[in-house]
Amino acid sequence: MLDISLQIILNGISLGCAYALITLGFVLVINAIGAVNFAQGDFVMAGGFLTVVLAEFMVADNFNPIRASGVIILPLVLISMACFGFLFSMIAYKPLKNRPPVTVFISTIAMGLIIQHSINAGFGPEPQIGPALISSGTITIGTLTISKQQISIILSASFLILCVGFLMNKTQLGRKLRAASQDSEMAESIGINGPQCISITFSLAIALAGAAGLLLSNQFFVTTSDGGLYMLKAYIAVTLGGWGRLDGAVIAALAVGLFEVIMATLVSYVVAEALLFAALLLVLLFRPSGLFAEAIQRRT
Amino acid sequence: MSSLYSRDFIVTLIIILIPLCLALNTDSYGQRIMTLSGIYAIAAMGYHLIFGRLGALSLAQGCFFGLGAYSAGLIGVHFGLSFLTCLLFAVIFTALVSLIIALPVLRLESHYFALATLGIAQVALLIAINWTEVTGGANGTYGIPQLDLFGVELSSSNDVLILVWVILIIIVSLTFWIMRAPFNYQVTLLKDTPEVAASSGIDIGRWRLTFFIMSAIFGATAGALQAYTIGVVSPATLEFQVMVSILAMTVIGGKNHPAGAVIGAILLTHLPEWFRFLETHYLIAYGAALLCTIIVAPSGIFGLFEKFIIRNPGYDVKSLPSKENKAVSDANSTSLEIQGLSKTYGGIKALKNLNMTLTSYQIVGLVGPNGSGKSTLINIISGLQRQDEGTIELDGSFIENTASYKRSNRGIARTYQTSLRSSDLNVYQAILACSSNQHNLKHRHNQTHAILRNSRLISKTEIMVGDLSTADARELDLCMALATEPKILLLDEPAAGLSSSEQRFLSTKIRHLAQSGISILIVDHSMDFLLPVVDRLICLDQGSVVAEGVPAKVLADPKALKLYFGNARS
Repeated sequence: MLDISLQIILNGISLGCAYALITLGFVLVINAIGAVNFAQGDFVMAGGFLTVVLAEFMVADNFNPIRASGVIILPLVLISMACFGFLFSMIAYKPLKNRPPVTVFISTIAMGLIIQHSINAGFGPEPQIGPALISSGTITIGTLTISKQQISIILSASFLILCVGFLMNKTQLGRKLRAASQDSEMAESIGINGPQCISITFSLAIALAGAAGLLLSNQFFVTTSDGGLYMLKAYIAVTLGGWGRLDGAVIAALAVGLFEVIMATLVSYVVAEALLFAALLLVLLFRPSGLFAEAIQRRT
Repeated sequence: MSSLYSRDFIVTLIIILIPLCLALNTDSYGQRIMTLSGIYAIAAMGYHLIFGRLGALSLAQGCFFGLGAYSAGLIGVHFGLSFLTCLLFAVIFTALVSLIIALPVLRLESHYFALATLGIAQVALLIAINWTEVTGGANGTYGIPQLDLFGVELSSSNDVLILVWVILIIIVSLTFWIMRAPFNYQVTLLKDTPEVAASSGIDIGRWRLTFFIMSAIFGATAGALQAYTIGVVSPATLEFQVMVSILAMTVIGGKNHPAGAVIGAILLTHLPEWFRFLETHYLIAYGAALLCTIIVAPSGIFGLFEKFIIRNPGYDVKSLPSKENKAVSDANSTSLEIQGLSKTYGGIKALKNLNMTLTSYQIVGLVGPNGSGKSTLINIISGLQRQDEGTIELDGSFIENTASYKRSNRGIARTYQTSLRSSDLNVYQAILACSSNQHNLKHRHNQTHAILRNSRLISKTEIMVGDLSTADARELDLCMALATEPKILLLDEPAAGLSSSEQRFLSTKIRHLAQSGISILIVDHSMDFLLPVVDRLICLDQGSVVAEGVPAKVLADPKALKLYFGNARS
């Protein structure tokens, strides 16, 4: 009983960690441009497919399955998704930067459609499986059996989250990004390149989405229609965590992942989903600023 | 103005009738696609109201479509009622659901509203898939009877096409009726600047609710027709793709006009036919078209059409009735009594136990350093913010807890520090939108004209609000406030950004207004502007009155002097 429940909790935390990466990217963009990136979930899915493709390519190239492990692919995915993120900001945000946030909402919905259905046209709707991060299998410590994959998901996601925290809080680039997202006019008047900061933020956000796609691709497979649900989970986590708060978003994403796995195990996945939306509506009703207070003034 | 709108209606009818006539002469396959266009045009018409006109990003339109399909289809299958009965049931059911959803969701703003409506749509989809006994689960329910009308089965694709498009025409007419002048301008004002709309007496909540329910009704009608024409209801009708398709149609066709919804629906339902090589991946093309539209032509195809082909005739001032109308109501002596008003933001006291009286025929100036509580006071009197403590009494009744728009209806008007910036209204329309709801349309036109004739904007009635100079924009703010027939007028920095000659023009105008019986409160930093015009000056510091009286007396007050000129001069 003990190891089953520990297994469930680990499962929940590893899912929550992946959600946290998605949500972090989602919040970074919200803070930078004051608008929601509706395509964030589709980038998670795209990252998953990129992982599958890279893994196949490497295995075919060398016949050595070790080389195709997720940890090796991760930097490649991060870099290529960051490039996609830059392109994405050029297409879906830059021409619209002086328009109301709702316009960006729609342009990202359009980009999401294009990404999802282009990949669908290429790979079909069947689920694909990505490589394990290091190796599959389990470790047994005393009476506890722990999946290596889950531990490595949790470790790599935590590492990436810490990197983002370090980048945003301790580096000059992070300070610039935060300054530009708080008040881009003011930031520009002290010599910060605002548009560049926004492009970097998009790159970072999409890279995180891609990393989450990689982490999820082994245990949860990757299907072209996944994007919408990931986006919703991130959206919910951002709302629960307090619109615009990075720390709140990470904690809320972990909670969403844990809640989902525990409920799905105890009752059913459908009930887990329904309760999550019910919780969301209740929070919106009674505490629209999120469970943690709102960090930034909401921009209209 | 109504002639412009009826011309608009005729243009829309032509846009509907031409493709319909063409479709009546095609084969049954072409007619089925046009039937689908008509169905989606109905759904998009609802979306054009809530998203296009009101600017609320609802993601529940696909859900309403699906609810309509399920409720009509299931009733049709299980009870064998006629189509119109099922349609009526579907519409009432969906409208009730939307009403229940609206209660918690409608007060949410922008992205929260989008998320909440998306969440509700997701719950509806989950229910449709998992409540197998009722909905038929993932496979849906088959065997919905054929469309019928008064006992006659509509078996040919021709009949179905005509029925759908007749319903579309009814829905378009209804849309035009809802959006008749001056309500169309009120809604535009509401979308662009909700605060200005509220303090101009426009009930935001009522409009949002009306449009949300109308969008649900139109969506349900479309869904019911869809279920009956294809004979199946399945969870696919509730999927996000339906929502995205409706959104794409509305935006691509032109979200600000009913004709846009029709054009968008016809185009996008035919697009998979024209681009057959895309096979089932036509949503890539939807996405690309949506992206191009939002970047290149945000007002959509009809917006381009309107811009280049129909030239907007605007408003012809000469055709106005020349009858002399009094711009403002005969205000009897009226008074606003503020007592013990307090307001705290976090740890900062913005207002501390403030007392103040405003009476007819009197101009009161309110001065004080930044952060002394001037704007907070105006916001609280006009109802944009709520006090923590204290009372506001207007002519004997307490109004401190009434909504902003109701206060406006009772005679409190205000202007804002930042002028209205709207690209969709011209000067005349903006003033008409604010005209008091108590009067009929003709009276409102007359009143708008009367206000304009006392203003230097008379020669600029057709200029779009966003294109006005600073001085003209400030003048427009004042005209809009006057259109609500105020007894109490609150002016928040009316002279900011004006040249000295423009300030003199404004002073004269304010004097005239006071002589007609309005009580005026002016907040301004420019003493040169305030001193000659006010009867009484109130000096505020840190939320309390430090000096009050005729200007000369306040200027002699050491505390006020200290605030304005520092210790050295006192």
